[in-house]
Amino acid sequence: MSNGMYFVASQSMLKARVIITQIAVIVAILAAWESAVDAHWIAADILPPPSTVMVTLGGLLRSMDFLANAGDTLVRVLAAFAIGAPLALLVGFIMGENITIGKSFSPIFNLVLAVPQSIFLPIFALVFGLGFTEKLMFGITHVFFVVAVSTMAAVHQVSHAHVIAARSFGATRLRIWLSIYLPAMAPHVITGLRVGMIFNIIGILLAEMYASQSGLGMLLLRWSESYEVNQLMAATIFISVVTILINEAMRLWEAGVGRWQSARMAE
Amino acid sequence: MTKPTVIETRKVTKTYNVNAAPVPALVDISFAAEENSFVSLVGPSGCGKSTLLQILAGLIPSSSGEVLVDGMPVRKPMPDKIAVVFQDATLLPWKTVIQNIEFPLEVQKVPPRERRECARAMLSLVGLSDFAERYPHELSGGMRQRVSIARGLAQNPRIILMDEPFGALDEQTRLKMGNELLHIWSRTNKTIFLITHSLTEALFLSDTVLVMSQRPGRIVDVIKTALPRPRTYDMIGSREFGEARNRIWELIGGDEPTAAERVGL
Repeated sequence: MSNGMYFVASQSMLKARVIITQIAVIVAILAAWESAVDAHWIAADILPPPSTVMVTLGGLLRSMDFLANAGDTLVRVLAAFAIGAPLALLVGFIMGENITIGKSFSPIFNLVLAVPQSIFLPIFALVFGLGFTEKLMFGITHVFFVVAVSTMAAVHQVSHAHVIAARSFGATRLRIWLSIYLPAMAPHVITGLRVGMIFNIIGILLAEMYASQSGLGMLLLRWSESYEVNQLMAATIFISVVTILINEAMRLWEAGVGRWQSARMAE
Repeated sequence: MTKPTVIETRKVTKTYNVNAAPVPALVDISFAAEENSFVSLVGPSGCGKSTLLQILAGLIPSSSGEVLVDGMPVRKPMPDKIAVVFQDATLLPWKTVIQNIEFPLEVQKVPPRERRECARAMLSLVGLSDFAERYPHELSGGMRQRVSIARGLAQNPRIILMDEPFGALDEQTRLKMGNELLHIWSRTNKTIFLITHSLTEALFLSDTVLVMSQRPGRIVDVIKTALPRPRTYDMIGSREFGEARNRIWELIGGDEPTAAERVGL
C-alpha cells in the first residue's frame, strides 16, 4: 500500500514538473522573441513582438467583422463534420462487418488517403463553384475517408470470442452491437473522429485561403497579401489555440472512454 | 432410482462443404448425461470436439440428428438451460468482475438488484468475493476462468458446457482448478460437460469419459470411471487410473503414451 501511495505521489510530482518545464519553455521563447524585436535584431514590421500581437488579438476579438468571419468558418467546419462523420461511421461499420464490401473498398480508401487531398481543391472549385457547397464538400471528404477507415479497423478490433459468448447468453444482434461492439470500438472510433476533425479544419481553411468571400482562411490570405502582419499573427495564434482546444477536448473524451484499454496496455 | 436425463444427442452429424465436396466433421454422435453428472469428452486435436460443443450450445446447427436438453430440442442458445465456459475466459475487459458475471442476466432482463445479488452469491461460491470491483486484466488466468465459471453458474442453467477451460493454464494451476471445479460442482446440482485434451484431467474429474476418434469425429468408447468421490490427487497415481488412461490413449490413435502422458501431464 505504501509503495502504491509513493508511486501515486511521485507520478503527480512528475506531472507538475513537466507542466512547469513546458510553461517555462513557452515563456522563454516569447521573452526571447520580444527582446529580439526590442533590440532590432528582427524588424517589427516583419515579425511584430508578442505584446503587440496580443493587443491586436484583443482588438480582433471585439471586432464584429472578425467574429463574423470566424463564425462562417465554424459553421462550415461543424456542418462538414456533422454530415461527414456519421456517414463515415456507417460506411466504415458496413465495410468492417461485410467482408466482401470491406475487402473491395478498403484498398481504394487507403489509396485515396495516400494522395494529398489538397490537389483536388481546384477540381472542387470548378465543380461546386466558390461558395458554401464547395467548402462543405471539401471538408466532408477530409472527414470521411479517415473516419471510415478507422471505423472499419475498429470493427476488426471486436473480439469474435466475445460475440460468441454474448450469443450463448441469448443476446440479440442489436444487443451485441450495443454491449460488445460499441464499447470495444469506441476508443478507436473516437481517435478516428479526432483525426477527422483535424483534417476537416485543414480542408475548410485551405478552401477559404484558396478562394473565398469570407472565413478565417480568407482573412489570413488577405492580411498576408497586404502585409498586415499584426493581424496575420493574431489570427494565426487564435486559430492555433482554438484547434488545440478542440483536439484536447476530444483527446480527453478518448482517454475517458478508453480507460479500460490503456490500463490493459500498461499491464 | 435413476436420475433424469439432462442432455441427450441423437445421431448428431456435422458435414462441411469444402469446394462443393461434403467433408464430414462429426458422425453419429449419440450420448446422454443425467442430472448432476460430470461428463468429459476427450479426443485428438482437430477431431471436432469444439464443433460438437457449439452444436450442443445451439451456437451452430447440426447437419442432421438432434440435441435435447430437458427433452427440448436445441436450435438456438438457451441461456436459461445451457451455459458455456470458453477456453479463454471471454470476460469483457471494460466491465468489472461483478459486472461481467451480471452480463448474461442483464441480457435476460433480470432486474438490477436481483442480478447483483445473484452475481455476488456466485462470486463467493468461486471464492473471489474480494475481487468484485476489479477488472479482468488485474486477475490471473486461473482467477479469470473462475469468474467465467461464476458467470456460467449465474445463468442458473441445467448444464454447463466447458471448452478446454483450463487449456491455457500451466499444469499445476490446471489440476488445482480441476479440483476447485469439483468443489464448486458438488455444491450445485449442475451437469457438467467438459471438453479437454488432457486424459488425466478427464479421468480425474468425470463420472463418464466419452472418447472421440480422429476426424471425422465419432464416439469410439464410453468409459465409466469407477473412482470414488471425493477425488484426491493420489488417485492419479493408482494402477486403475493408469490403465484407463492407456486404454483411451490407444483408442484415440496415439501409438505410445509420451513420457509426459505416462507421468500424468
